[in-house]
Amino acid sequence: MLALEPLRGLRVVATPDALDRARWTGSPILLRFAPDEMLAIDAVTVDIDDEDAIVEHETGFVGARLAPDDLARLIAHVDWPLPTDAGALAQGKVAGVPAKLRLGPAPLLVTNAAYADELVDRLG
Amino acid sequence: MSEALLVDGSPMPFEAGDSVAVAVVRGGGWPSAGGTLCLAGDCGNCLVEVDGVAYVRSCQLPAQAGLAVRRHPSAGKPHLPAAIDPEAEIAVRRGEVAVAVIGGGAGGRAAADVAEAGGQEPLVLDASDGFEVVGVYPGPAVVARGPEAMLHLRADEVVVATGSADIQPVCPGSGLAGIVTARAAERLAAAGVDLGRTVVVGWDLVRFEGDGNGRVAAVITRGDDGSETATACETAVVDLGRAPRDLLARMAGDGADGAIRAAGSAAAEHALPPPPTSGVVCPCMGTTVDDLGVAWDRGYTELELLKRASWAGLGPCQGGACLPHVRSWIAARTGGPAPDPFTARPAARQITLAEAAADTTIDAFRRTPLHDEHLALGAQMDRFGGWWRPWHYGNPLAEYWAVRQAVSIGDVSTLGKLVVSGPDVVEALERIYPCNVADIKPGRSRYALLLNERGHVMDDGMILRMSETRFVLSFTSGGAANAEMWVRDWVDTWGLRVHVMDQTMSLAAINVTGPRATTLLARLGLPDAPRFLGHVHAEIAGVPCHVMRLSFTGEAAFELHHPVDGSVELWRALMTAGDDLGIWPHGLQALFGLRLEKGHVIVGMDTELDTTPRRLGMDWAVRMEKPAFIGRAALERTAKLEDDRRWFGFAMDGEAPVEGAPIRSVESGEIIGNVTGSWTSPLLRKALMLGWQRRRPFADVVEIDGREARVTATPFYDPEGLRARA
Repeated sequence: MLALEPLRGLRVVATPDALDRARWTGSPILLRFAPDEMLAIDAVTVDIDDEDAIVEHETGFVGARLAPDDLARLIAHVDWPLPTDAGALAQGKVAGVPAKLRLGPAPLLVTNAAYADELVDRLG
Repeated sequence: MSEALLVDGSPMPFEAGDSVAVAVVRGGGWPSAGGTLCLAGDCGNCLVEVDGVAYVRSCQLPAQAGLAVRRHPSAGKPHLPAAIDPEAEIAVRRGEVAVAVIGGGAGGRAAADVAEAGGQEPLVLDASDGFEVVGVYPGPAVVARGPEAMLHLRADEVVVATGSADIQPVCPGSGLAGIVTARAAERLAAAGVDLGRTVVVGWDLVRFEGDGNGRVAAVITRGDDGSETATACETAVVDLGRAPRDLLARMAGDGADGAIRAAGSAAAEHALPPPPTSGVVCPCMGTTVDDLGVAWDRGYTELELLKRASWAGLGPCQGGACLPHVRSWIAARTGGPAPDPFTARPAARQITLAEAAADTTIDAFRRTPLHDEHLALGAQMDRFGGWWRPWHYGNPLAEYWAVRQAVSIGDVSTLGKLVVSGPDVVEALERIYPCNVADIKPGRSRYALLLNERGHVMDDGMILRMSETRFVLSFTSGGAANAEMWVRDWVDTWGLRVHVMDQTMSLAAINVTGPRATTLLARLGLPDAPRFLGHVHAEIAGVPCHVMRLSFTGEAAFELHHPVDGSVELWRALMTAGDDLGIWPHGLQALFGLRLEKGHVIVGMDTELDTTPRRLGMDWAVRMEKPAFIGRAALERTAKLEDDRRWFGFAMDGEAPVEGAPIRSVESGEIIGNVTGSWTSPLLRKALMLGWQRRRPFADVVEIDGREARVTATPFYDPEGLRARA
C-alpha cells in the first residue's frame, strides 16, 4: 500500500526570474508548479529578490518516494501523456485524483493532503 | 447441426460460422418483429437481448451453444443493464499509434499500405478480428471493444475505411419480416439458408404486402406505364444501391482538424435514393415520412434540427438506415443539393455502462484534516462543493441552539483562500470587485460579491487587507476553483504586477460562533478579540491562526484559519475548553438554517446563472460610482430596464416546505417562482423561506405548499446585527 507522508517546506510565488535565482537554506527538493510558483520541500528559509513574493510555510501536501515497481503501478493509472524530460514534474490526475509526479532517478508522488486518503484508496 | 442457442427460451440449432441472426433465419424465424435485414451491422433491425444485454446486433454476434437470446419487444425499448456482471472488472488496454485504420476491407488495406509506405506502422481494427470500434473522438482517440479488454487508443491519424452499406427500403410494409438487402441475401445464400420463393426488387418498389402474420407475402412494383404489379414471395430481396458506411467518421465533427478522415467506399460519393413518399423512414425510432413533414412545417428545415424534431436518426444505428432517405427528402423539399450528413455520437455499437466506464474514475472529493474528528463525533458526512462535509452530528436542533445560545464550532476549511500581493494589487482588486477596496485598512475586511462581465453574481466572500500591498481573499467552497482562475486570468489579461497563491488546501479553518465564542477564545489565547470585520494573527491553543471576525450565523463568529497540520489539535482544544460553555459542533444542516434566519445568500444554491445584485436586493454591495469594475457596464445598462425577478424572504405558520417548492400566485394559482431555502425556525417558531418571484407586480402574499406565505423583510433574526457585533 502506498504510504503518503506529510511534507513540510516553503511554498513561494514570485516572479519567474526571482524564483530562478532564489537562495535556499539546506538542500530542499524543488518542485516548480508553475513559472511563478514553487514548493520547496524541507526548506526553512529563502532569500528571494522580489519584495512582493508570497512565501508561506506549507504543510498542505503529502508525498511518497517511489520505487520502480510503485512508479510502474502508478503510471498504469495515468491516462495522459507523461513528459519525457529527465526530472520533469508531471501534473495531472492519477487514478482520477489531482497529483504531481516528479520523474527521474528519484521519483516522487505529491498530492494535496485533502486528496491523500482518496488517492490511497484508489491505488489500493 | 449439433448445437443450439436458446431463442425466446426455445432451442435454435445453428451451423458453424452462423451469426445469431443467420441461425434464426435459417430456422425459419426473424431476429426481430420485422424490418429489412442488412446482416452487416448497419441497421437496427436485428437487435436482440443476449444473456440479459439488450441492443446487441445479432448479425454481428457468432452463434454459440447455450447463448440465451430474446427478441426485443415489438413495441417499446428494452432497458440496457449497467453491467453484465456487476462484480466483473473490465480491463482496459491503452496505446498510442501513428495511424489507426478502422476496417480491414479493401479500403482499409489500401490506407494501411499508404501508411506503411510512408514509414508509419498502422494498426488495423476490424470487427472480424474481434475489435468493434464503438467511438471515435477528436484528439483523435479511438475506443474499441476487444475480445479480452476495452481498447483506448490515441492516434495521430484515424482512417475510417468501413466501406458502404446497403440502402434500406422506405415504403409501406417495410417493417415486415422476410425482407433482406441484396448483400444480406448473398450472405444467407452462401450460408446455405433456404429463403424459399424470392423476388428481387429495385427502385420500382411501391410497397410490401403481408401474409397477416407479419411476414412479407408479396411485393408491389410499378411499371414504366404506371401500373402496379404484385409478385408473391416468401422473401423479398431489395437492391437499392449503397450509401457510405460513415457513422464513425461522422463522430469526429469539425474538432479533429483533418486527423480523422473517411477513405475508400466510406468516403465515396453514392447516388441518393429517390425521396421517400410514405412509410417508416427511421426503423429504429419509428419516424415516418409524414413525421418529417410535420417537423418541417414547424420550421425544422435544417438536417440537424429535423433529426432532433422528428427523431429520425436518433436510434441505435444513428442514420445507418434513414440518413440517405432523409437527405434525399430534404433535397426534394428545397430543390437544392442534399445537405451534408448529420453527426453521429459514440457509441456506434451497444456497450454497457460498465464497459464505457471501465478504468475511468469519478471526481475525487476532498477531505478536510478534521474528517476523522467528524466521524468520531458521529457526523453524517455528505458531498458538498467538492468536499466531504458534516451534514449534522446526529442532532441538528441541538447544533442550532449551541450556536444561538452557547458556542459552537464548524469546519469551514473548505472555503476558498487566495493570497494576492504586489504593487498593483489594489488596482487589480478595484477592477475585479464591485465594492471599494482601496479604503479597506490593514486589519479590516469587507464582504464582496464577485461579478462576471454580464453583471451576474459568480461568487462571494471576504476581502481582508494584510498590508498596503497584500490581501487575503475568501470564496465559497464550491466556487473557489473558478474564482481563483478568474482572478489569475484578469491579472494576466491586464498585465498587472500581482502574485496569486491559492491556499485553499493549505489552510484549514474552524468557525467559532455563538454568544460565548469570545469567552472560549479568551481561554485559549485571544484575550482581545477583534471587533466585527477585523482580523488579527494570534496563537490559539498554540496553533498559529489568522483570526477573522465576521458572521454567517448571525452570532459573534471568528474564523480561525490555520495550517492543516494543526487542525486536529486546535479542534480538540476548542472542544475541551468549551465543554462547560455548552460547546457542540454544528454541521451544514444547522448552518443553512442559521444563515436563512439572517437572510444570507448562498451563491449557487439561491442564485441562478443570470442573478444580478439587484435581483438579490444587494445593490448595497455595488459601488456604481467606481469608474470601472467587471460587470459595471452591464449593470449600468440593465439598471434602466424593468426587471421581473426578485429574491425575497417569506414567512408562514407551520412547518417549512421542501426546498425547491413552487411559489404560486394567490389569485391565479399559477407558479410565479420557487423556494431556494427553507427552514422551520426553532427560535421564531414559524417557517422561513428564501425564494424567487419571477413576475411583476411582486406579490406581498403568495401561496407555498398550499398555504399563504407573506413576503417578509430579511434578516428575519436580529435585523440590527447587534448579536454579530456583540
